[in-house]
Amino acid sequence: MSGSQRSSRAKRIRSRLSWAALTAAAMTLSACGGGSLSSDSSDGSSSGPVKIGFSVPQSGVYAALGDEMTKGFEFYLEQHDGKLGGHEIAVVKADEGETPQTGVPATTKLVVQDKVSAVVGIVNSATALALKDTFAQSKVPLIIANAGADTLLDDPSDYVWRTSFDNGDLGASLGPEVAKDVGDGTVYMMAPDYAAGHELVDSFKKTFTEAGGQVAGEAFTPFGTTTDWQPYLNKVRESGAKALYVFYGGAEAVNFSKQYAAFGFSGTLPLYAPGFLTEGAALGAAGDAVKGVRESLQYSDLLETDANQQFVKAYREKYDTAPTVFAVQAYDAAAVLDKALEDAETTDGQGIVDAMKNLGDIDSPRGTWHFDDTHDIDQTYYLREVQETPNGLGNVVLGELN
Amino acid sequence: MFSWLDANAITIVNGVALAALLFLIAVGLSLVFGTMDVLNLAHGSIALSGAYIGVGLMGVGATIWHLGLAIAAAAALGLGAGLMLSTMTSKISDHLRQALLTLGIALIAGDILRELFGSDVQSVGPPSELASSVKVFGDPYPVYRLVMIAVGAFVALALYLLLERTKAGAVIRATVADRPMVESMGLRTDVILGGVFAGGAALAAIGGLLAAPILGAQPGLDDTVLLLALVVVVTGGLGSVRGALLGALVVGQAQTLGVALFPEYAPFLLFAAMAAVLLVRPRGLLPATTGAHA
Repeated sequence: MSGSQRSSRAKRIRSRLSWAALTAAAMTLSACGGGSLSSDSSDGSSSGPVKIGFSVPQSGVYAALGDEMTKGFEFYLEQHDGKLGGHEIAVVKADEGETPQTGVPATTKLVVQDKVSAVVGIVNSATALALKDTFAQSKVPLIIANAGADTLLDDPSDYVWRTSFDNGDLGASLGPEVAKDVGDGTVYMMAPDYAAGHELVDSFKKTFTEAGGQVAGEAFTPFGTTTDWQPYLNKVRESGAKALYVFYGGAEAVNFSKQYAAFGFSGTLPLYAPGFLTEGAALGAAGDAVKGVRESLQYSDLLETDANQQFVKAYREKYDTAPTVFAVQAYDAAAVLDKALEDAETTDGQGIVDAMKNLGDIDSPRGTWHFDDTHDIDQTYYLREVQETPNGLGNVVLGELN
Repeated sequence: MFSWLDANAITIVNGVALAALLFLIAVGLSLVFGTMDVLNLAHGSIALSGAYIGVGLMGVGATIWHLGLAIAAAAALGLGAGLMLSTMTSKISDHLRQALLTLGIALIAGDILRELFGSDVQSVGPPSELASSVKVFGDPYPVYRLVMIAVGAFVALALYLLLERTKAGAVIRATVADRPMVESMGLRTDVILGGVFAGGAALAAIGGLLAAPILGAQPGLDDTVLLLALVVVVTGGLGSVRGALLGALVVGQAQTLGVALFPEYAPFLLFAAMAAVLLVRPRGLLPATTGAHA
């Protein structure tokens, strides 16, 4: 075998190997999201301030949401001089990341290693579900400040509480309203193909059809990988639907809204959605594309109550931006801890849980709410519409739903 | 048959528009691998940087001149990034180490972009001249996407002519085929290959910029774009412009017509298309036999 033959064969083998590597890279990239595990922790001392864990995504697709929650939580602490219920507070942060693979170990560390008295946060419902037993065994309360899965509190635990929302309630709240608006027409429904998407479509469909509404069809788009909604929007057009109900949040909300407008649906096909579609940065990024969208949500920064207007004013002074529903959810979690620690006989997890059982009404920028028997939030959902306001586009509150 | 065509014609057109964007982004990845044998996992980060240039330079009311300026800026950034990556990877021939290096750069770039532009999604509108829509097969269709088809076709043709019909293209092909011979003629092959890398990266940055009105700009988009580009080049076959074009067309239709026909299988269509192609043609549809080819 001559040298050149050998080298060309070696080259062929090498290129075949690299081919396999490339194909493998393409296959695994879809499964792996970027994300780093990082956490700030303070040294564990048994006396002194009460340690509260705060676990939200600092990386990955939900990082923006985590930032909002951090702002809301820290804002409450700052308003109260770093104290909750008269106790000095030391916040120990963890990065929840995107999935239970990152969220569970990071949050478990707060309980097991940092020995916090309570944990606030959790965006991903799967992460919250996986953490339930850990909190029950450690007798430390988890105050969920975002994850909305219906099933999370189906089997209530003393150690899992929620200050955000319930997908089922949120979707259901809009059904009768849409049925009234479209009359004899039909409605098409669309959401990302994961648990929350199905819950928000199913719960909407239930109350909508019960109120006499007719369904034109439904589509579930691949979560995180859908970049082009044209094929789905084309189906909506073919179905002859008179209105469209969608659930999207974050980047998907913006891309969907802009394509909905680009394909000429604005003004001809009314859009209804849970308010995440136009919450926070999504509203600014989507701009005129979402004008006129009607939504259901438990909060809007334009809510015209004294409590909210004062809150928004102070929040704007600190952050130079309006608060989002995510900030309010974390703000309320801090308020819950404030009240509970005030009443608590001991500042450990069990003491806080015992006090939380008798909290009564919580006064929040979103209105007064309370925990129900399953420790889920019982609150008012508002009907909002995206309108031009003196300060640009805003989520104007039209009334209460439920 | 006619009713089927009538219902899906617009979807097929849209698939071509999506393919044009995918082609712009993926062709650089393909050429760099074909000529330099470098697997550049920072390719998606370069495209995302291009999208953020759109965020910076194309605010509300941006015109086609702003777009021109943004394209120039994206090209400059891509050229710079390509030269840097080319220098860093030129001494490494092992694919695993190349992948580790470029993946590390991608992670760092992702964090820097997040620091600069925040973790919220940012949107970029098409220039005002192209923001309207026209009736295509009876339904409104955005003009911007039609323009993308033209841009994709233009770039494909230009690259074909450059590689096959010019002396520069001949030198690039010769460098891939027989590097010592080209060097013995007094040409610096490292400069030539660096130029290819820079050109490929510039195309990625421009592709990311042009895709921004459709895909937006946010952390995580770099991964999505890299994944799509990898699927395109694996499907089409590495190292050839024609392969990247064909791969982009297949992936574009899988993502649009495929989704319209089999919505319940939408999450699997991308990889199903790739797997189907690889079963029949394990090296992709139109692989380059000796490196760079149009």
